[in-house]
Parts: sequence; structure tokens; C-alpha cells
Amino acid sequence: MSTVRASVRWIRADLRARRVQALLTLLAVAGIVTALITSATLLEDGTNPWRGLFAESRGAHVWIHTKDAPDVAALSRLPGVVQVAGPYRTAPVTLTLDGKKSPVALREMSPTPPSVATPLIREGRWLRAGDTEGVIVERSFATALNLKVGGPFTVTALNGASHPLIVVGLADTADQGFYPEWTPGLAWTLPEVLARVEPALGRSESVTGLRLADGEATLPVVHGAVTLLDEEIQRMSTWREVRASMELDNRLLGLLLALFGVTGLVAAALAIANAVGGRVLAQTRDIATLKSLGYTRSQVFGVLMAEHGALGLLGIAIGLVCGQLIASLTLYGTPILPLSPIPLLAITGGTAAVVLVAVALPAWRGGLTPPIPAATAGPPRGHLSRMARVALLVRLPPALVLGTRDAFTRRVPAFLSIFGLAVPMMMITIGLGCWATLDDFLNHPERVGQAAALVVRPDKLPAEDAARIARADPQVLAVYPGSEVSALEPEQTRSVLARALGTSADPYPFSVVEGRMFAARGEAVAGQGLLDLLGVKIGDRVRMTVGGTPLIVHLVGRVVEPDQDGEVLSFGMDSLAAKDAVPPQFYSLVLRPGADPSTVRARLLAASGEALEVNRVVNPAERLAVIRVVIVALIAVLSLLGLANLLTASALGLRDHAFDLAVLKAMGLTPRQVAATLVTGTGLLAVLGVVAGTAAGASLVSGLIDLQGYTSGVGAGIGRTPSTLTLVSAAAIAVGAALLVALIPASRAARAQVPAGIR
Amino acid sequence: MTSPVVDTVNLVKIYQNGAVPVPAVRGVDLRVAAGEFVAIMGPSGSGKSTLVHMLGGLEARTSGEIWLDGQRADTLNESAWALLRRKKVGFVFQFFNLVANMTVADNVELPALLAGASAREARQRRQYLLGELGLTDRADAAPSQLAGGEQQRVALARALANKPSLLLADEPTGNLDSRNTRDVLRLLGEVHRDGQTVILVTHDARVAGLADRVVALFDGEIVDDGTIGMARRRPKATVGDVVELRG
Repeated sequence: MSTVRASVRWIRADLRARRVQALLTLLAVAGIVTALITSATLLEDGTNPWRGLFAESRGAHVWIHTKDAPDVAALSRLPGVVQVAGPYRTAPVTLTLDGKKSPVALREMSPTPPSVATPLIREGRWLRAGDTEGVIVERSFATALNLKVGGPFTVTALNGASHPLIVVGLADTADQGFYPEWTPGLAWTLPEVLARVEPALGRSESVTGLRLADGEATLPVVHGAVTLLDEEIQRMSTWREVRASMELDNRLLGLLLALFGVTGLVAAALAIANAVGGRVLAQTRDIATLKSLGYTRSQVFGVLMAEHGALGLLGIAIGLVCGQLIASLTLYGTPILPLSPIPLLAITGGTAAVVLVAVALPAWRGGLTPPIPAATAGPPRGHLSRMARVALLVRLPPALVLGTRDAFTRRVPAFLSIFGLAVPMMMITIGLGCWATLDDFLNHPERVGQAAALVVRPDKLPAEDAARIARADPQVLAVYPGSEVSALEPEQTRSVLARALGTSADPYPFSVVEGRMFAARGEAVAGQGLLDLLGVKIGDRVRMTVGGTPLIVHLVGRVVEPDQDGEVLSFGMDSLAAKDAVPPQFYSLVLRPGADPSTVRARLLAASGEALEVNRVVNPAERLAVIRVVIVALIAVLSLLGLANLLTASALGLRDHAFDLAVLKAMGLTPRQVAATLVTGTGLLAVLGVVAGTAAGASLVSGLIDLQGYTSGVGAGIGRTPSTLTLVSAAAIAVGAALLVALIPASRAARAQVPAGIR
Repeated sequence: MTSPVVDTVNLVKIYQNGAVPVPAVRGVDLRVAAGEFVAIMGPSGSGKSTLVHMLGGLEARTSGEIWLDGQRADTLNESAWALLRRKKVGFVFQFFNLVANMTVADNVELPALLAGASAREARQRRQYLLGELGLTDRADAAPSQLAGGEQQRVALARALANKPSLLLADEPTGNLDSRNTRDVLRLLGEVHRDGQTVILVTHDARVAGLADRVVALFDGEIVDDGTIGMARRRPKATVGDVVELRG
């Protein structure tokens, strides 16, 4: 261990001499580990608060909505059912708060909390017997509406009677997803209060939850319940649907981060191998000196591993901390299950192994350095190629020709530099593609099936009046009547959203990416999610129960469907039974280009005397806005990697050719030409890397995004390649930065007096 | 009589240039006693550098024996040679070969630390050596800030840091002007007078004149080996003296 002190001195001195490069390595590795940790946290559902809630509240795996209370004893005898929650009578009411109306499902609940699907009190208290006005509100709903414990909760029943209730507690539940993704909002009250608010049994439904022994085996239970209850069932849902819908955004983000993280890791490994290799080459003489002083081969290897490996490991440690911080900061307020030890260990171990291997290969070569310091490791010599001679003969600038030749004197580092730049550039291009796709969502919502910017619900007005007011607005281009009902798929195990919008003759401008738009009664288009769910393809006929009416649907096209994981069936109003179609539940308003939805909304509200309910359509890009932050951060990390590679290439080129400079000057090259030669040597590698990376990224990006769209149910057809202008400017910025990085040391070297003798 | 510091028996080094064997050293028997100052002379390509590199274990011999301080060294592997060098061999090279990133002080302390000295011991030894070589005020400078002669003096201090039994100097003045050459040679003479065994490679007769004994190498063989007067008795040897002697 006697070498430790000496080695520490050497490492300290070396780090001091290359602070910038060391810092770049550190930051790049830290950034990548952060991305990987964050991605794993997101993918693992650690950040999915719903999952935690489901476990904590012993949620029900299957919920059955029936007209009247079902036979609980029979349900509990179904194979696989462990416990039954409810049945709870639930009535639809409307909460009016500051003039804003929100639909609420008011559900009965006993003064003693149930053992299954228990609402978890987070604030306030549980219901007490005799709470004639008390109501517990689901927390995400309460947060969205700014409801507080002790605050008023005035609801209007379907009969129009208003009932002032008081919020006594806020509770979390896994019965449904969070508001506003899942509506209506949920509130619990005592049975007698519910009976007072909604005395008519016919206007309420009964909700029963089944907790299963094996949560993944919902299908047999669902089939059993359907057989048992048959006509009584209005709607069924399983916990998987809720889970899937609660995961979507996190999953997309996690996948994006994982893609960047893994590719970034490859790029980082290249950058590190290149940097260490370059450093070893540059230090050949010093390493030889160390060996002449008594360092053994393995000790030299050990010192190099310690120095460069420690940098990488430190980067990993910083990344681990940052990953945890980011997870807790960005998802502030939501309970986070920390990343379980296995992925954490896998990421730490995996990145550490990659970093150490990347360091070990060049370090091993460093260990083999012969101990005679006089022997310098010059670049391989060679003649000018025929092409170079021709180039010089036709009077191409000599700096260009010599620089080009210099760029490839060392094949492996040249390849590492090109590849090491191409990979980050490819990822940056992919990042820009994601950005462009989000922009496209925002700028052309009609391409993602959101042609309508506003949805008008008649509310207090007759539907015709609502349509008339909407049509009268000068900035409204078109008004499409619509209704949404639930449709049971052929096996009747899951209900999906069936949306009638426009008519077959005048269909809503869905974004049809495959097949064609529906044009006749009975024809429909669907999102990718629905096609996958039913296992059907375009052209198939599917028997569905739409809003209680059997309907044979002819699927004629696929649309980009951002809602409900793409599990949406869309058709014309004329395909819908009259009881569901008349009057339309809502009108979708397509505005004139350039119209501001909020202005139109305000005008419509004013025109109707606040009687209409006008909502803006939430663009999926607004939910995904955080992706932009991620893209910017990742581009920064990737730029660091590219920069690290450039510094290596530049340093190596300078070292290899520093002694040629005197010769070049002697041959009559001006300092400027000498600098140009050096810059060309590095710049050429940069240009090749950037161009290759940009091309690869541009050709991959829309396919990747479409793949993601396909798997998430939205469907292929959303991916956008960044515009040519963006691509060209990104490449130009990268090349420009590269040349700048190369230029500074080159011009300094060109001006320095280099003794011709020392080699 | 004590055993010689260096003893080689029929030492041979053959480089392989492709399939063609190129003999660099062809059967050298060299015995250097403790305290001796031997200059190895010869034209370019005569095998001088190869010989001292083999003596320090920087290059492996093809055949023959090398004994250092009575210990057989030619059979050692690379690592064992490295350990041996730490304790027993100091090197001075033509191009100084100071570690560019480290200060003068660190460069000199490095071998001592490597040999297991504590930081304090290494510092004391470094202060002593730099003091002796007149470089105390340059301790914190970077090697690149030093003149050639100063750099070579630092290299000498570094080579002496562990009080090696053998100091090998490969053209130590080859890259210096006459004034710096004189300074470095004076220092070499001084350490020699303190009992240091020195083997110096040079092709400069004036430099060789400083030694007790000059071994002439030609095509890898010793062609002349003779003592050139008692250097110890001529402490103030100068270039003029050498010329006089030769004439």
C-alpha cells in the first residue's frame, strides 16, 4: 500500500490539470444516472399514488354498478371473491360552488368504516351517526374545487332541490382515479342524508365492490357476475382500468427518460472510454516516467482506474441523490413509494459496471506502456493518400487537406469521437422530435382528434337553444352535436366509451389515420386502444351494446384518440338510438383559425346568461408539458457528453500534431493556416458525428413516437420529425460549438513557439 | 571485497524488427564497484542506452545475467523490477521527464512516497535535496516554468530521493547548453563524491571525462574499458582539464 500516497498526489495533480474534463465526466454521468433513477421510479409506479392508495385502502378489484342492490351473498360466493364492499346506493347530484357546477356521485356510507375499499380520512373526521349534514369528499376532487373541512357543500339533486351539506372530512380512495381525470367527483354521506337528498330510488344506482384473492384474475369474476346479474348490470369496471389510466403520463415520461438514460449511458461509456484513452495517450510519457520510478503495470492500471473510475462513481452517487431529489421535488405533495432496492441496485451496479469497463480498457492499455519515457507514442505514420495529393494538386486549401488527413491518423479514437458525438446528437434530435410532436398537438389539435376547442353543455337551456347560441357566435366555425354513452364490448366484461359526434352525413373532423371516416349509419371509427382491446381490425363488424341498445358496428377507420387510452368508439349521432341521441348531451365547437377559445367561451357564457356550461378541451400536450423540461435537461446532459468527446478529440489531435506545427510553419503555413489545420482535424470528426447523429435521430424519431402512441392506445400517426429548419439549426449549433471548442486551443497552439526537436 | 553494485554476465539484447533480428547489445560483461563513476561512451546505435535501460530493468534482456547489489535481477518479472527500481535505482533521462502536472516538490517527493516513506519523511528529503541543488525557491513551480538546466537538476533530485545504490543517467546533458551542462555535471560529481555509484551514458567526451572510468561501446560490444585518472583527486575538474588530459 506504499503507493497510495504517491498515487494520491499523482491523481490530485492530474485532476487539477484537467478540471473541465473531469467536471464534464462527473456531470454527464450524474445526469444519466438521474435520468435512469427518475425513469425507474416513474416506471415502477413508486410515484403512482393511486397504487399506494389501493394497497392501503384494500381497494375492490371489480366494481359493479346496478340498478338495484344485487344479491350480495351470491356475489360473495363467486370463485375468487374474498370480500364484498357495499352495495352502496349512489345518486348523481350537482355541486354548485361559486357559480361553478360540478357533477358529484353522492354515495352512502355507514358510520363505521368498511373493511374493504375504505375511504382513508386525510383531514377532518369520519361520518358519525346523526351527521345530518356531514359529507366526506374525495381529496383530489376537494383539492381541485378548493373544498375545506367545515366548508359548505351545497348539492342539487336531479329533482332540482338544493341541500346545504357541510364537509366534515377529506378522504383518499382508490375506488376511482383522481379528479379531474376521473369524473364525477366522489363524496360520501350517511344513508339517511342520501335518502333525503335523492328520495327517488329510480334516480340512483347501486355500487358493489368485489375484492379478489388474485387481483390479476378479474376476468372469471367479471364473467361470473355478468352471468349472475345479467340485465341488472349497468356498468362494470376493474381496478386495471383505473390503474392503467393513472399510469399513462408517468409511464410515457418514464419510457422517455429510460430511452434517453440507456442511450445516454452508451454515449457516456463511449465518452469516458474516449476521454480516458485520450488521457492515457497524452500521458504516455508521464506514465512511462512513473514506471521508471518503480510503478508496476498493475499499479499504473490501479491509479488510472482509481482516478477515472472514482470520477464515474462519484457521478453515479451524485446522480442517485439527484434522482431522489427530482422525484420528490417534481412530484411534490404526492406520496412517493421510494424505488425498491432491486432496480436501484441494478441501476447503480449497471452504470458502475459500464463506467468501470469503459475506464478499464484504456487503463489496461495505459498499464502496458513501456517504462522508457523517451519512447513517445506518435500517431501511425503514413503517406499522403492519392486523394490527398490530388486535393493538393487541384489547390484545395492545404489546411483542409492536412486537417482531413490528421483527423483519421488514429482510427479508433476517430471512430470513438464520431460515434460518441453521433449518439448524443441522435438523442437530441429525438428529443427535438418529441418537442415538435407536442408543438403539433398544440398547434394542430385537429390532428390528434381535438378539432373542437370548446364543449358546450346545454345545462339549464334546451339543447336547441344551446346550439343556436353557439352557431350565432361569429368565431364558431362548426357545431357538432354529441352524446357519450358507455358501450359494453361483445363479451360484456368491460365498458368502453362510445361517443356519437356529428352525423354520418356531416361527421366531426376526427383525425382518421387508417381506413376512412364513417359515412353511413352503423359505421364507426375507433382508437388504437379499442382495436387492441377487442382484437379487431379495420373492416370488422363488432356487436356492441351501446347505451343498452345492441348495435352491430362496422369499423371503417382508425382515429388518433388521446382520451381513455384510445378505448373509444366514435360514430355519428344517427347511429345512436333516439333515446340517447335526442337531445344531444353536448355540442363540440370548432372555432375559426386564430380564435381564442377563452374569449369565445366568455362570449357564449354572456350570450346565454351563464346558463350554458362551456368547457375548454384539455390538450394532451398540456398534461405532458413536463416532458419539455425533461427534454431540455436531457439535451443539456447530452451536450455535456458531446462536449467531453470533443475536448478529447481536440486534445488528442493537438497532442499528436503539436510537433508537426513547427514543420508546417517551416513549410510556409501561416499561423492561421496552422490553426485551420488543427480545427479541421477536430471539426471534421464533429461534422461527421453530428450529421450522422441528426440523420439517425430524424429517421428514428417519428417511428419511436408512433410506437409509443401505438402501445399507449393513442395510436400511430402522431409522431413528427422536427422541422428541417430545427434540424439544420441544431446541427449547425452543434458543429459551430464544436469548431469553437476546437478553435481556442488550436489558435493558441498555432501561435506558440514549438521547439522542433523534442519528441 | 564487497560485491559489485552492478555485475553483468554476457548480457545480450536482440530486437526483432519484423523477422530480422537486430542485435543491440552483444555479450557485455560489466562490473561496477560501489562508489564508481562509469561513463559509457559510443556512437549512436552502439547500444549504450539499451545497456542502461537493461541495467534498470526498463527493457528485458534477451540472454545473460544481471546482478544488482549481489542479487540476481535479470530473472525478475516486470513488477519485481519495478519494486527493485524504487529502492535501488535512480534514473535521469535526456528529456528530464518530470511529471508535467505535478509541482517540482511533488516530483521529487514521488519516489520517496512510492518507496513507502511518510509524507513528512518525503518532505524532509525533498527539502534537503532541493536545498543541495539550489532549487529551494522553485519547489512550488510547475516543471514547465523551469529552464532546462533547472529541470534536469529536479530530475536529479528525484532520482536521488531514495538514496539509490545505482544512479543511471542516460545522456543527462544531451539537451542542455554548455552552462547548464556544467552545472549538472558538477552536481553529478558532487553526488559521486558523496559515495554514489553512477553510470552515465554519453557520447560527449568532455562529459565522460568527469568519470573514473570510461567504457567504450561499439556495435553492442565493449571495445575499451579504462580508468582515466583519479577524479576524486581532482575535485575541481573543469572542461579545460579534460581537454588538457586528452591532449
